[in-house]
Amino acid sequence: MDTPLREPTFLILTALAVGPMHGYGLIGEVAALSDNRVSLRPGTLYGALDRLVDAGLVEVDGEEVVDGRLRRYYRLSPGGEATLSAETERLRRNVEAATSRLSARTRAARPITPRTAGGLA
Amino acid sequence: MNDLERRYLRLLHAYPADYRRARGAEIVGTYLDLADPGRRWPSPADAADLLRGGLRQRLRAAGVTDLIPGVRLAALLALVTASALAGVWGVAELHPTPTEWGVPHVGPFVSLGVVAWAAWLLTAVVIAVAPIRIARLTIVLALLLTLAPLPMAVALDAPRPPLFVLLPQVVLGLLGLALPDRPSRAVRLAPLLSALLALAATEFLVGSDAMGGYYAPTAARFLPTVGGLLLVVGTLLAMGLALGGDARGGWALVTLLTPAGFLAVPALAGGTGIHGAVTFTQLAASAVAVALAGPAVLLLAILVRARLSPVTKRGGEACPTCGTRA
Repeated sequence: MDTPLREPTFLILTALAVGPMHGYGLIGEVAALSDNRVSLRPGTLYGALDRLVDAGLVEVDGEEVVDGRLRRYYRLSPGGEATLSAETERLRRNVEAATSRLSARTRAARPITPRTAGGLA
Repeated sequence: MNDLERRYLRLLHAYPADYRRARGAEIVGTYLDLADPGRRWPSPADAADLLRGGLRQRLRAAGVTDLIPGVRLAALLALVTASALAGVWGVAELHPTPTEWGVPHVGPFVSLGVVAWAAWLLTAVVIAVAPIRIARLTIVLALLLTLAPLPMAVALDAPRPPLFVLLPQVVLGLLGLALPDRPSRAVRLAPLLSALLALAATEFLVGSDAMGGYYAPTAARFLPTVGGLLLVVGTLLAMGLALGGDARGGWALVTLLTPAGFLAVPALAGGTGIHGAVTFTQLAASAVAVALAGPAVLLLAILVRARLSPVTKRGGEACPTCGTRA
């Protein structure tokens, strides 16, 4: 799968990092992780899961029937864990670089204290 | 089974039959889990999501996964072209013929088309600054305002741009609706830059008397030339991307055949010569031929690609996610 990961893909893998989850649970978890910014619908979610399974990043963990509805659970594969770790590390380095440069910019932009002409004399 | 479930199952027919058998219960179950109590009909957004998912799955099953990214690329080129044309025709609208010639016009403008071109220029600005959802709504508005001069011209007995100018704009706009959901800043700015460049270039040409109105002899050659340029850019893009093993450009090029064909209608109807006046019937016949041939070529390309694709999933193969066999 191409990297950097798209945000919905990154969030799905992140949601599965805590343990197996079914589609309904994943939709809620992705919304919570993104402060409701990323709202997946089932058609989109299952398309993404298909691609992740094809890429070997996600596996089917099992299934159960709850209130007459089929629920299939998905888990992160070892390959998915490695991809998520690599992507997280890449993002962390980017955040550190941006934070450091923004701090330097803030320091440089501090107003210079005006001096009295002639100094203290 | 309640009404809501039955309606979701009906929408699920957008998916291929084998995929539906393997995954349908899970997908519909998730929609039902998410539905508000008492809901009886799927929301429009759910219906669109299911139809989109079904289309993606059908393309995936046919091994044509890069078609949608290719169409999105074509959408960007279509919007760049539509914005440039709006710039060109927008400036042309500001320069009606002298009153003593007795050619009808609409106030200080050449025709009612000024509303359409203003809408497309506004669309270019909205694409640059607003969320894509808003940009798509603006494209729909611009499409409606491009068609509006047709009934308005009859009702008000006022001049309008010719159909061979309005029709390609509508086709370009329809394709533009497939703009990517999260375009980069460069992609967002491209239609606006294109419009501004066209505005400046046309103003210069009008100043040097090198640009006439909709019916000037240069206009009949202008649109086919734009169509040709669109295909040249598409071909170069396809070749460049193909070098990196990316088939998006090829699909974009095949998709662009239809709008390029509509731009070439005056030439296809035989109207680019010095004495190249063509009849409405000739123009209409050319437009119908393009409307049939363009999508047919795209469909043929999909069928050929599906046949050649080594990953084609046919009935009886395991579901990619759960391993269930249809």
